[in-house]
Amino acid sequence: MARTIQIQLITLLCCLVTVASAQSVSSNILVSYSFDDTQLATGPDTFAVFARSRGTVRLSGTNKLSGYRSVEIRDVAGDRDFPELQGYFAPRSKGKLFLHFGFMTATPYEEFNIALAGPQWFSLRKDGIGFWLKTREGHLCQVSDSMPKKLFLLEPFVWYAVNTTYDIDQGSYDLVIHKEGLEQPVVSLANQANSANQPGSAVDKFSFIGDTGEDKSNVTYYVDDVMVGVDESIVHLPFVAPGRKKLFIDYWSEAQRNRHMQPGPIEVIGLTDFGIRQKEMEALKAAGLWEQLLQAINGQSVALDVRQETSVEIQRLPQAVALWNEGVKALRERKAADALRRFDEAAALVPSAKIYAMNAVLSLVALQQWDAVDERVSRIYADWQDDVRFVPAMAAIGLARQHLDEAEQWLQGPAEQIPDQLGQDLLRRLRSGAVTPDLVQQLKVRFPDNWDDYIKDVLVAEQYFLVLLWKNQAAAAERFAQRMADRYEALGIPNSRWYERMGDAAFFLGNFTMALQQYEKGVKGNEQSAGILVKLSDVYFRLGDLEKERLYREKIYGTIGTE
Amino acid sequence: MCIPFWISRSRSASLVLLAWSLVLKLDASPAIDLSTVQTMVGAGKIAELKALGKEVLPVMARLYEASDLTQRTRIAQTFYALGWKSAEAKRVLIKDVHTPDQQLRLEVQWALGRVSNDDDVVTVLLNNMQHDANPLFRDKAACALASDQIHLTEQQKVRLFAGLIQALGDSKPDVRRIAMLALQIQTGQTKGFNPDAPLIERDAKIREWKQWLEQYKSNL
Repeated sequence: MARTIQIQLITLLCCLVTVASAQSVSSNILVSYSFDDTQLATGPDTFAVFARSRGTVRLSGTNKLSGYRSVEIRDVAGDRDFPELQGYFAPRSKGKLFLHFGFMTATPYEEFNIALAGPQWFSLRKDGIGFWLKTREGHLCQVSDSMPKKLFLLEPFVWYAVNTTYDIDQGSYDLVIHKEGLEQPVVSLANQANSANQPGSAVDKFSFIGDTGEDKSNVTYYVDDVMVGVDESIVHLPFVAPGRKKLFIDYWSEAQRNRHMQPGPIEVIGLTDFGIRQKEMEALKAAGLWEQLLQAINGQSVALDVRQETSVEIQRLPQAVALWNEGVKALRERKAADALRRFDEAAALVPSAKIYAMNAVLSLVALQQWDAVDERVSRIYADWQDDVRFVPAMAAIGLARQHLDEAEQWLQGPAEQIPDQLGQDLLRRLRSGAVTPDLVQQLKVRFPDNWDDYIKDVLVAEQYFLVLLWKNQAAAAERFAQRMADRYEALGIPNSRWYERMGDAAFFLGNFTMALQQYEKGVKGNEQSAGILVKLSDVYFRLGDLEKERLYREKIYGTIGTE
Repeated sequence: MCIPFWISRSRSASLVLLAWSLVLKLDASPAIDLSTVQTMVGAGKIAELKALGKEVLPVMARLYEASDLTQRTRIAQTFYALGWKSAEAKRVLIKDVHTPDQQLRLEVQWALGRVSNDDDVVTVLLNNMQHDANPLFRDKAACALASDQIHLTEQQKVRLFAGLIQALGDSKPDVRRIAMLALQIQTGQTKGFNPDAPLIERDAKIREWKQWLEQYKSNL
């Protein structure tokens, strides 16, 4: 029976509107989680996430095998608990079962365990664990016939795709593991005894955890594309094959399909959107507010029973989420003024939560208050410019805005006469993309009468370019970007961001060689920018150079600790 | 017997809470008073003892040595509940691993594997399982071998498995039965060994188990 997902116990940022989802693909698929889709179907219990103590299970937009997100499982030694992603499906006591998933570890020498088990749960016995992968001394091992057997030495930050054909009646399985970038599998084993060598051992669940109770693991690993079914095609799924891996351009196209002239609320992809990081998670749990937070994320009314010792900052987190939920509802119902009020209240409660400020901007767009839009975008620009959601949001803003041809006027007009060095420096910083609240404040002081015009010029140019792309006028967008780059160069302004945009346009036109050339110019001076590194990775993927694709992807892994 | 390997919270929340609530030290007091520890042990205040940190273990060991049988039994129970490795605890407990006092013997046998993964702990428990005159002590030694050797590495389990497989050939049916049960709990399988089968059938299955052990060793 095909299953759709219902998140039963969620501590992943979870059942929140946009979180992990599984969908029934066909009647032969029991479980399918890609952690990407925005639709959350309901159904019988299908998975649970345990992220108690300091360990976490959460979505990762940085590291994924396909699509936009994977699940990151992070264990912390000595915290007296372990994180777990546990999934369920209809019990199977005969026949064959096919299992497919991808994993990648950042810490090969730290233990993690992945298992398929039955009604006797995760013990070595009949109807207990049937299939078990674990790490030992940096190696991936399978537990077969009650003993761990080394398979291969794991490499950090490399995706592995696991395909298993599990024969319940025989108590055995075939195991094929592919490593990214290699055509031949690194493991290809047939007829392996199942974990406890038990024919007829039923299975109905799987689990991804750190260590098995010793509390010594500091593992961080990622899981993506989990599929369980009775259709053999599952274990023949391609590994990062063209058409399967989703690139930055795919996110754009999907957003393009989903958005209309009226910008809606931006989707949430992580707890950090709400200003909730590890420290806040621990504090929320300690204060007994974790469940309330999850309820608030799910749009349920929250009755806060706050302990006296709980800090005001922590109390505000679920309050702000509740306001955000009201704002999202109001914006969808075209009540933009109400939405703006809610988002502003939420942002005032938790200023570090970037989703509230962006949704306030989108509310202002709906209200057509363009001066306020420009000022607020400039304030949040630095927080958002490397976020995959930013470009479609800017394009949507541009679409809602009229008179974008103002961008052409700036190109055609004479250069400003700014006599002083300070003024020139401020405008150079603004146009090179270093838009920060501090810069906006300095602009206000230096140009009290027309500071907002300068900001508008910059934002309108960017939105104009994006709207051209949005309207499938990539060649025109490329020409505009070229002229902007030339103009910047003539004015002595760093123009790497316009080279990046030329690369985007070339990518849209399918000219990947040209896109690469432009991105390489664009990355100069922006070597730490996750946004352009992702694009370089994607263009190398399109060019079939998987080594370079990985090289640039790995440069982004430095953000793991701060995600 | 406890569930080895992977404990699922959905199934065994209480076990997990117990295990994790007892693991690892918090801040330890610089000087731990013997009488305070005695009071805590007597009252079964595991959480308070745990809060004292692992420095409480040598104090408990000294207390054990100075105590009567009843108090020793309580301290052995406490060592078991804490589940912390301790050379001092193992040193004092193993002296009582042959005591004729029933309650103390059982608690000591159960606690040893939870305070130490030294080879001689497995050896002495295997010996008790096979050779103790009292069937109850034999049975509970097997129980300890099956479920309480929580600090053993995969390499150290070789000694345990070898001893249990060797005991499958014991002349006493109850020893064969409890050895098989312990082996089954550790590995999840019996390989068709029937402790009451004719000798020739048992020998054939024991050969299978020995082959399995060789394969286990070759994978280390």
